[in-house]
Amino acid sequence: MSPPEAPAGIRSIRPVSLALLLITATYLGFLSGFPDGFGPVLAAAGVVLATGLRVATRRSVAVYAPVPVLAALVVEAVPAPVGLGTEIVAGLAGLAFLLWLADDPSRPVGGSLRSLPTVGVPALAVGIAWSSTLFLPAGAVPLGVAGALLAFTLAVVALLVGSPTVFDREEA
Amino acid sequence: MSDASSRPLQWRPLAPLLLSTGAALLLVAVLTRNPTPLFLALPLLLAPVAAGIVGPRSAPPVRIDLAIEGAAADVQVRGTVVPEPGLDARNFVVELERPASLVGASAPRLDYSSSEVRFRATWTAPEPTITEIPVPEVLWRDPIGIVEREAVSSASPVVVSRYPPELLRIGSVRLERTTPLPGETRSRRVGESGEFHGIRPARPEDPPRQINWRATARAGRPLANEYDLDKTGDLLILLDARPTSLGPTVDERLFSVARAAAVGLSDSFLRVKSRVGVGVFGEFLDVVPLSTGRTQRIRIEMALKQAHLSTVSAPAERCAVSARRHFPPGLTTVVFSSLSDDSSEDLSPYLRRRGFPAIVLSPSPLPLIEAVSRLTGEDEEIARRISRLVRRDRIARAWQEAPTIDWDDFWSLGKFVEFVRRPRVRRA
Repeated sequence: MSPPEAPAGIRSIRPVSLALLLITATYLGFLSGFPDGFGPVLAAAGVVLATGLRVATRRSVAVYAPVPVLAALVVEAVPAPVGLGTEIVAGLAGLAFLLWLADDPSRPVGGSLRSLPTVGVPALAVGIAWSSTLFLPAGAVPLGVAGALLAFTLAVVALLVGSPTVFDREEA
Repeated sequence: MSDASSRPLQWRPLAPLLLSTGAALLLVAVLTRNPTPLFLALPLLLAPVAAGIVGPRSAPPVRIDLAIEGAAADVQVRGTVVPEPGLDARNFVVELERPASLVGASAPRLDYSSSEVRFRATWTAPEPTITEIPVPEVLWRDPIGIVEREAVSSASPVVVSRYPPELLRIGSVRLERTTPLPGETRSRRVGESGEFHGIRPARPEDPPRQINWRATARAGRPLANEYDLDKTGDLLILLDARPTSLGPTVDERLFSVARAAAVGLSDSFLRVKSRVGVGVFGEFLDVVPLSTGRTQRIRIEMALKQAHLSTVSAPAERCAVSARRHFPPGLTTVVFSSLSDDSSEDLSPYLRRRGFPAIVLSPSPLPLIEAVSRLTGEDEEIARRISRLVRRDRIARAWQEAPTIDWDDFWSLGKFVEFVRRPRVRRA
């Protein structure tokens, strides 16, 4: 019934999604162009602080665990120079962040696997956006694809925030 | 089944965090003409949308089984939550609320599998209690924790009643004063019962005389005789729900203890087919008329569960007059009263004058008061002695009107059971 008991610390940290987040965030920090290796250090510090908040404190404090990671990712992404590698790493870091969120130690193990259908949608969007910048010729077409994606995203988000019941299905 | 449409998708605190960060990154990307923040913003903006799409489109129905186990002070709540096929049980969050009258870890232990969630909570009742364990709240929550939706179930709350174990044996006591049922002719037979009905497996509370020893020897397992009319008498249980000088907190706890004991007492006598009635006297007398059987047990349990302390203290004579209207005189009457002040002492004299021979079972406030006392050392000892002297004086005064049992150990009613089991002492 219960998953096999592992040492509490290791089980709580959920190492796979943590490693994924650490690698992508640190690499984004490396590409962000901060001098003296400040970027990777900032990313690693954010991830470590968030993990500490999650596993070592009370539940009321643990809900703030995503904030340091998110702040570190934002600080790295904003000054990052334009480049295909930087863009896809930023997208992957965002996806890794979602997987890390799904591996909440207060919930049953396997959260990242169960979240794959949810994470799949933004992953598809990131993939389309990146491939459009990579494969399509420069000019109006990639701009159109990116613009359509953004417009669609913003419209759906606005609709959802305004009325979450749009996803409700009437009972037969 | 609850209305599924009234349980819409709910945003969790993570959703605004992701959306606002994504929007900010989008703005920065446009202003700085840098696509990198845009790529980071895409997952943050789309994840809430995806979570809403992937989840159940209406309140997911779940089956909740809830059971109470344990004995005496130990209360174990076990249960399972089974969602409908197609939904992963690991995406459900189960929140079980601990009633205020129980102590222990508030969070239940949860065992997840893909098809069901098993929960178990181990609580302790510090004193006898009758309380309702609510149906756990079950929420579907997406694995990332962005959205959630309340599940629907048809489960009902369960009632846990914990009372001193001695009350299980008290039902075998033959009540002296009985009132014939309409049309019933009193049997001259001395014994436990009327007509022989059959043989059934023996229960722990069966007296030795009811065991059919020959049948037991033949079958190799304990068997007992059962009778058509196994009535030992009629009993009236009266609870004094008037406020006292002890204050609402202590009053409430004492009343809770009395309610639990009343449930145990009625349960025990109803099991041997006695007729039991209940009265709760606050401002007026609320009664459950005399009757017997399982329905009466449920009726009494419900009435006692819903009984509450009155804010107004009514004269005791009103209780006696009202009791006379609802119950025939001569009923053996057990009165639960804390005897904490002068007004609570006058119930049994009025009842006696109206023809109800009362036995007063008085839950003592001293253990509750001593537990919250701020005194220490010698002062505490002196205060304890004085309060015990005052209490003893009150009990002695109450004895002049009716047999009175001082109930200071809430998990033991040995003194009371001994008293009602020994008729000679009772007469004395």
